[in-house]
Amino acid sequence: MTYDASVRKDSDGLSRATGDRPFWGRLAGWGPYRAFAALVTASPRRQFVILATFPILWLLTQHLGPMLQMLRVSLVDAYPVAQDAPQAFTFDNYLRFFGDRIFWMPFFRTLTFAAVFTFCTLIITYPVAYFLARHVSRRNQMLMLLLLLIPFWVGEIVRTYAIMILLGNTGAVNLVLKWFGFIDRPIPFMYTSFSMGIGIVYLTALYMLLPLYSALEKLPKSYNEAAADLGAGAWTRFRRVTLPLTLEGISSGCTLVFLISTGFYATPVLLGGPSTTVFAETIAGFFHVAGDEWPTGAAFAVIMFVAALLITGVFQRLMKALRKGDTA
Amino acid sequence: MNRGNRIALACVYWAFVLYVFVPLILMILMGFKDSKFIGFPIRSWTLDWYTGVFSDAEVLYTFGYSVVIAVLSTLISVIVGTWIAVLLEGRRFWGRAVTFGLMVLPALVPGIISAIAFRIYARWLGIEPGMGAIVWAHAVHNVPFVSLVVMARLSTLPKSQIEAARDLGADPLIAFLRITLPYLVPAILGASVFCLLLSFDDFVRSFFLGGYEPTLPVLIFAMLRSGMSPEINAIATVALVLTAAIGIWAERFTRRTNKESQI
Repeated sequence: MTYDASVRKDSDGLSRATGDRPFWGRLAGWGPYRAFAALVTASPRRQFVILATFPILWLLTQHLGPMLQMLRVSLVDAYPVAQDAPQAFTFDNYLRFFGDRIFWMPFFRTLTFAAVFTFCTLIITYPVAYFLARHVSRRNQMLMLLLLLIPFWVGEIVRTYAIMILLGNTGAVNLVLKWFGFIDRPIPFMYTSFSMGIGIVYLTALYMLLPLYSALEKLPKSYNEAAADLGAGAWTRFRRVTLPLTLEGISSGCTLVFLISTGFYATPVLLGGPSTTVFAETIAGFFHVAGDEWPTGAAFAVIMFVAALLITGVFQRLMKALRKGDTA
Repeated sequence: MNRGNRIALACVYWAFVLYVFVPLILMILMGFKDSKFIGFPIRSWTLDWYTGVFSDAEVLYTFGYSVVIAVLSTLISVIVGTWIAVLLEGRRFWGRAVTFGLMVLPALVPGIISAIAFRIYARWLGIEPGMGAIVWAHAVHNVPFVSLVVMARLSTLPKSQIEAARDLGADPLIAFLRITLPYLVPAILGASVFCLLLSFDDFVRSFFLGGYEPTLPVLIFAMLRSGMSPEINAIATVALVLTAAIGIWAERFTRRTNKESQI
């Protein structure tokens, strides 16, 4: 106590510099804490067990648990069930998917759309990332990257709505086209795969841009200079040097964007139409209706997830083979 | 040739900037239009939609509800995510790769699948749809982002500082609290802001796990389905300005602290 008082009397700077010492000193000397610390850090092994127990439990119950539970529900005939009602194991929920065209049409549409939109995102963002990493000074790089980050802080729904205003029949694009006299009637952009594509590319562009940027930024400029000295033209330099060495960034960006694209629900609902129903809407349908449709919904979600993982897995393998082939 | 390339690429960059900014700017402008009809051109201007939004009790309540959910879920994510990061960046152990894979899992599961997996699990755990369920789902979903950011920072911590603290008599716990934790503060703050925004902006999990009270994105979604109105623009603009401002502030803050700790 007396020590504390003397510290407070000191000038501000000094008391700030030494102000935390009494606390930590007292804590280290405090009986219950010492007993606790001795218990916890008795041996490296015990220390590790105490450090690891909670995270492992969390990962198993919170990260893995929901996925396993979804898998289990997809294999039963009724869920949720009353307290003592019987629950039988079945594959019917999966078979239902293959039995009806109304289910696999949206499924293949989703995968096709996701692949096409991923490719579009890559084509659009690669030159942007290239420009930032190659043609802009260090200082400006950060500012110009930050400029692109701003819109991406804004939420999914707000940005989807912004696209609706841009592309609507009385939207900005139609207005501009009318002004210039290109059209007499508004072009119905909305509720098509086009409006959906614009929206999804808008939402995912950043997840492509950042991996590409970091891959391009790591690439030493001297590689390109060496290639130029050896007589390679700009296109050859890009195709033989830059592109192969950024395949890893391309691969991780595409994987990320593909997985995210398959999972959109609100954007296709708001920007798409009846002809662009995606699988997310099919899955969601089973959870809106009251009734025992959950197992079917769960089975469809599992099918979707497995398909998306398989596709990205094969894609990553291909990219790896391509990388090896280029260096050999 | 090189110069031409450079100019072409600069054009692509600025075109991209237009692509990401123009829709938002148009949306903001529309919120000031003096007509119930959404569409261009805008002939007269008004602030009525904003005064309407700020005096609408439901909108204000929803806003507060979303903020509370964001703060609570962020607190959980930050504690758990940091703990997992400390485990993963610590000494090597058997099953570390699998642990890492499990850690990033929620970030890789596509939105709709993650939402319904949480919905089913919440049902199994007996959590009713509503605030608790949303907080829980957001917290789990955001853990990987915290862990990844904190791990990146942790890998740059000079081990000698911990050793020095131990040599001076600090036990591992105090060494962690006085050396490691302060070193992690910028990363933790940055990750917190990121989690706050992820939670505040999240639609799909809030939609499937919500009860009768909507979060802000769910409310906007419901309003959009029943027709467009400039009031939505005003709400969305307020949300936009807030999220963008927090995002920019956090970006500047982490950059500044990173610079300071490098010296």
